[in-house]
Parts: sequence; C-alpha cells; structure tokens
Amino acid sequence: MRLRAYLVSLALATLLPVAIFAAVVGYFLVKEQRDTFRRGAEARTLAVSTAVDAELNGSIATLLALSTLPALDDGDFAAFRVRAERILATQPAWSNINLAMPSGQQVMNLQRPPGAPLPDSSQFDADWQDAVERRAPVVSDLVVSPITGQWDYAVRVPVLRDGAVRFVLSAVVRPESLSKLLQAQNIPADWVGVVLDRGGRIVARTANPEGTVGQPASQSLREALTRASSGWFPGRTIENTAVYTPYRRSAASGWVFAMDIPASTVNAVAWRGIALLVAGLLGAIALAIALARVVGRRLSAPIAELARTSEALGRGEPARVPDTAQVRELRVLAQTFQSCIDAMREREDRLRMALDAGRMGTWEWNVRTGAVIWSQDLEAIHGMAPGSFGGTLAAFEKDVHPDDVEKVRRAVAQNFESGNAEHHVEYRIVRPDGTLRWVEGRGKVFRDASGVPVRLIGVCTDVTDRKRAEEALRDADRAKDEFLAMLSHELRNPLAALTTAAHLLHAAEPGGAAAAHARDVVERQTKHMSRLVDDLLDVSRVTMGKLALEREVFDLGSMVSGVVQAWRSAGRFSAHSVNTDCTPVWVYADRVRVEQIVSNLLHNALKFTPSGGTISLSVEEKEGEAVLRVSDSGRGIAPQALGRMFEPFVQAEDRPHGSEAGLGLGLALVKRLAELHAGSASAHSDGLGCGASFTVRLAAIAPPHETQSAVANAEPVAVLRRMSR
Amino acid sequence: MIVKNILIADDNRDFSSTLKLALEAEGYSVYLATNGREAVLVQRKTPADVLITDLAMPDSDGFEAIDAFRKEFPATKVVVVSGAKRLDAPLYLKAAELMGAHAAFRKPFDVEMLLEALKALAP
Repeated sequence: MRLRAYLVSLALATLLPVAIFAAVVGYFLVKEQRDTFRRGAEARTLAVSTAVDAELNGSIATLLALSTLPALDDGDFAAFRVRAERILATQPAWSNINLAMPSGQQVMNLQRPPGAPLPDSSQFDADWQDAVERRAPVVSDLVVSPITGQWDYAVRVPVLRDGAVRFVLSAVVRPESLSKLLQAQNIPADWVGVVLDRGGRIVARTANPEGTVGQPASQSLREALTRASSGWFPGRTIENTAVYTPYRRSAASGWVFAMDIPASTVNAVAWRGIALLVAGLLGAIALAIALARVVGRRLSAPIAELARTSEALGRGEPARVPDTAQVRELRVLAQTFQSCIDAMREREDRLRMALDAGRMGTWEWNVRTGAVIWSQDLEAIHGMAPGSFGGTLAAFEKDVHPDDVEKVRRAVAQNFESGNAEHHVEYRIVRPDGTLRWVEGRGKVFRDASGVPVRLIGVCTDVTDRKRAEEALRDADRAKDEFLAMLSHELRNPLAALTTAAHLLHAAEPGGAAAAHARDVVERQTKHMSRLVDDLLDVSRVTMGKLALEREVFDLGSMVSGVVQAWRSAGRFSAHSVNTDCTPVWVYADRVRVEQIVSNLLHNALKFTPSGGTISLSVEEKEGEAVLRVSDSGRGIAPQALGRMFEPFVQAEDRPHGSEAGLGLGLALVKRLAELHAGSASAHSDGLGCGASFTVRLAAIAPPHETQSAVANAEPVAVLRRMSR
Repeated sequence: MIVKNILIADDNRDFSSTLKLALEAEGYSVYLATNGREAVLVQRKTPADVLITDLAMPDSDGFEAIDAFRKEFPATKVVVVSGAKRLDAPLYLKAAELMGAHAAFRKPFDVEMLLEALKALAP
C-alpha cells in the first residue's frame, strides 16, 4: 500500500472516534434543542390557554357583577333589562344576554322585545342541568344559536339568592372574540393555533377561523385529549400537513388550546444540527485527506526520487542524489546516501586504478542465465573496445588459445565439482590483432543456500610480461647450463689428453716416438686450454665491466697485415688461400684487443672454411670510420642464425669437435671489444654454403702528425662500460 | 681369455692417440674411432674385446655406441670415459652403467686406474 494511503487511513482512523463522539454529542444536542423547542412551545400553549381562560373569566366576572344587581332580588326584569342593555353595549364580543329560570325557561332575552315568547335554554344546551346544579359559573360548548343562526357559546352564571339558585344569567359570546385574542398572540404564521370547547369543537383558529368554527377538532387531537389533558403529539392537520401539536385543556374551563407546529419547523432544528455535524465531519475528512496527500507527497516524492536515482546509479549512470526534500529526515537520508555513493565511487575508482595498475580485469558468470559480464579492464586485456564483449562463455572461449581451452574448462569444472572455493589457471589468449598474451585467471564459486552454484566471479591478470621474463630467465638459465656443461666438457677433454700424455711420459722410453707424441700433445692441448681460459676470462671481465682499454695510436691497416703475415709464417694458412687489401687507417685503440678481434675473426674463418677455400681481409676508411672486413668462402650462416651470431655461447650447428672446439665466445668477444671502443661488429651471409663476412667498425682518427701532440698529452683512458649480455 | 684388443671411440684425437700409445705400451692392440657409428664399423672389421668410449661425440654419441654394441657385440665389455657434458655428471655415468657399461671414468682420470679396470675385465 502506498504511503499516501497509509496517511489517509491514519487520518480517518483518528477521525473515527471524533466522528463517533461528535455524533453522540450531536444527537444529544439535537435532542436538547428539540426538547427546548418543545418546552418553549408548551409554555406558549400554556400562556395562550391562560389568556383564553382569562378572557372567559373576564366574561364571567362581568356577568357575576351583573348577577348581583338588586333588581334581580325582586324579579324586576324591566329594570334589569335596562342595566343589561347598558352592559351589552360595553361588551362588543357579546351578542346577547339572557336570563332564565333554573328550569331553563328564559324570562329575559335582550334580542327579544319584552313580552315576546322566549325559548327554553335547556332545549339546546345539553349541559343546562349541569350548570344549574354546579351553582358555579360555566362556559357552554359551542352551539348554533337559534336566534342568530351562528355558532356561539354562552357564559352562564347562577344568580344565587339566599343560598338558592333563583335565576341563571347567560351571556352569548361570539367566537370572534377569541379569534382576536389568538391573533394578538403573535403565533407564527405557519403555526396553527386552535381553541376548542369542552366538546372538542373549534371555537377559534388562527388560520381560516370562519371556515372552521364549529367543526370538530382533528382526530389525532381528540385522541390525544382522551389520553391526557396536556401534552405534545405528532399528528396531521385537517389540511393533512404533518405537525407536532402541543395542547392544553384548561382545568378551569375545560377548553383546549392547541398549536399545530409544522413538523418541518421542529425537524428543521434537528436537520440543521445533523447537517452541521455532517458538514463538519465531511469537512474534517476532506481536510484530513488533503493534508494526507500533501504530507504524503512531501514524503513519497523525495523517496521516489531517491529510488530512481539509486536505480540509475545501479545501472552505472552518473546520477546525483537530489537534495531538495522538505522533510528533514529525508534530506538527511539523501545526504548520507550521497556521501555513501561518493565513498563507494572513490573505492571503485581506487579499485579500478589498482586493477589498471595491476593490469587486471574482473568478470562475472551467472550460472543460471549463462550471461557473462566483463569489466572494461578485462576487455582492454583482450584487446577489445569497451562494451564490445559478447556476454557469453563462448565469446570468452573464442579468444582462448586452442591448446589452452581444455585446461581452462577443466579448472572451472573442478571448481564446481569440488568444495574448493577458488580456481586458478594460466592460459593464453589471442587478441583481435593476432598478438598473444598470457592471462592468469582466478575465480570463485558462489552457491545458494542449497549448495547449487549460482555465480562465478573472478579476476584476470595480464601476466604476459611476467611469463616472458620467466621464459627469458629460463632460456638464460638453460643457456648458462649448457654453457657450463660445455665448459666442463671443453676443459675436461684437454685435461684428459694431458693426463694421458703425462702417463705416457712416465711409462714410455724417454727418447721414443711415444714420448715425442706425448710432448706434442702437451704443447698443443695446453695452448688450447690457455686460449679457452683467456677467452672465458675476457668475456667475464667485459661482462663485469672490468676490462680496461690501453689505447694507443696505430695504423689498423698495417697491423692487420702484420697479423696475417705472422700467421702465414706459422703455417696456419696451409690449407687456405688468404689475401689482404689493407689501406692505412689510423685509430686510437687498444692494440692488443684489436689484435684479439682480428685473431678471433681469422680463427673462425679458418675453422668454418674447408680446405682450399678463400679468406679475404680488408681494411679501409669510410665516412670517418676504420672498417675491417674478414670474408670467407666457407660454410656460411643460415638467415635465422645471423641475428644471434654475436651472442655468447652460440655455436654453429655441426661445428667441429675435438681439438678445434671452442666455447662460442670468439664472436661475443669481438662484439664486446668493438663496442668498448665505441665501435660496432656485424655479420653477413647469403646463406648456408655461401660463405660469410664479418665487419668491425672503429672510429678513425687523422694521421699521426696532426694528432700525435694531442694524444701524447692525454693520459691513457680506462674505459669502463657496463655491457648488457 | 686375455683382453687383447681395445677399441677407443673419442672425437678428441690428441686424447685418443695418446691413450692408444699408453695402452700399446701395456701390450694391448688398440683401434680408434671418432664416433659411435664409426666404432661399430671398426668393430666389425677388427673386433675388440673392450670398447672404451666417450659419451659426447658428434653425429652418433656414446649411448648409441653402447646400445649398438650391446645388440651386436654383447660379449664386448664397455668402459665409458666422459667429459660429462651435462652438469649432472653422476647421473650421466650412472645412466651409462645402467645401459650396460662395465666401468665409467670421468675425464680427466688417472690412467693407472683405467689399466687396473681393464685388467679386472679380463675374465
């Protein structure tokens, strides 16, 4: 349910007891008001009834006064008549005064001339006897007068003389008097006041008096009168309007006054009260709902915005938490949310930087859906544009080197099967541009409550550099191992020859052929070992940076010629044809080392050129450099070996063994020594069987008579240069 | 049977020729070969009672020689002398012994000891 609904429910729930309370109070209030109204109406009724009685009593009093006239003592009707006429003139409501015997026979009637026959009152007044016997004034009911033909009533007073009723004096009163009285009561126009005689006939009425006089009162009023002499009852008028009627029968006269009050008037009070209550309630409800909506909006809008923002953030969009809530708690929430996001962003950035620096990428595999998500770092490792990863396991395996796919699959499968939480595997990937990279992958399986794998998340690191370094190390190590093995072998063989020769020298005859042979072997092999040791030591020294050059100025061309000459004299060129082309080129270099260079190159040329082959040496100056070239028509160098010629320990395939074996250091030394002189060494061959040529370049200087003085003053410079292998 | 003929297979001529002289001084007849294949050929022509072979030789090394001799000349005793081209020398020699060599020497060795071993090989 929404927040607004909760608030509205809250408001309504609060209103409910109030509403109940208001209803209860309202009910009592309305009742009170009605009661008040009723009491008011009843009081009014009493007042009018009293006024009616007063009117009647007025008439009775006047008659009583008349009845005391002495003329009646003697029966002097004529004199009485005069007095009566005078009184009649003062009573506009009276229509007649008559005097009658207790039997009812009238003896004087102002409406008849004296001496005319007079009626008997008992004939038309049912209550005549009652009046006589009462010996008190009475008011008769309404009758149609035989004289006037109109409805009127009589007020009768017994004339008492000596304790006996001598006559009954009556005044005939027109009902109009009571009508006037009623009019004077200021009864509201829609109320109907009615005066009834003892018999229940209408004497006077505020509405339509002439039309209704003499009619019996309404059924309901007559029924009410039988129940009680005063009260209040709901009923209907003779015009059939719903009314409430307060009524009262006078105890004195027995006449009734009743007021028909339209029910609507009475009910109006109640309706007004109820209407007020309901209006108030509805107003309160409306207000409550309106307030609930406003408050709800103030609460739910910022909350909804927060939800939208976090959704956007979850998708990775850069959203800012809105800070505009009016409710303080929500504002605080938004602020803390924002700082939480900032902290997370910071952590994310740090993580990304770390991943970046470590060349790591992260991935996640949803086992159920099969979807794979890669971080941008991982895409970069795989050489893809950000966002271009296919999102499936197949898309990943596509990049893995075919030889490693099985290994990767097995590592992951093992992760799933066994309890180990983490798998670790190294594999190669092929980037879109074809380059190969080594990747180290670590993954962790996350399972749900029942142990079913749900997700696999992992980190991949580009370890190509490390792998290459490892490989290079291994290669270097292997090369060193091979070198040491070879060294061991190359040194042990001469030693074996020497020990055997030594034995022979012991065992054989001193002057014999065997002894001579042994001596030759000793000479040869010690020379050979000496060479080996020298080469080895030289290379070591150069590598450790401990080789010092002792430079001097000399002519390279003549030096080379000299070396060739010496070797030729020693007979070393017996199997080959060696020619030279040496032009004078002056250098400032270490003579001994340069000689070593020449020797090594010549030595190689002889070694790799079969008997009868040609070796050529040349020295020339070119572009400020002294260029020494040694070419042979020998075995040549395969193109793939060309680049590695000057690396130490590298030997030609199918190299000669036995006494002529070397350590593969000759060319390495040549290169190192040339570089120590700030020069260079290079090899060239058209391929196997096509001979080879080696070129060494050194800085040339001007011929001596120009530079001699400068050099003579200079100290021999020790050049220390660290060479990398 | 007295050991009379010896075949030396080694690519270091200075060594093998000197040893030949030393052995001849002791009364042996000595033939030379420079690799395993050559050793087999020489053996076929002039059979020797003992083969003294280096392990590291170009083209066809000592192991090949030992293997070939075991198959073709099972009666011939084999002595291994090696410059131990490999770093793990003891294992190398052990391997040779496992392959059927009767003795193994590491260069440089005392020639007297080799002579003793040859005498011991005589049944």
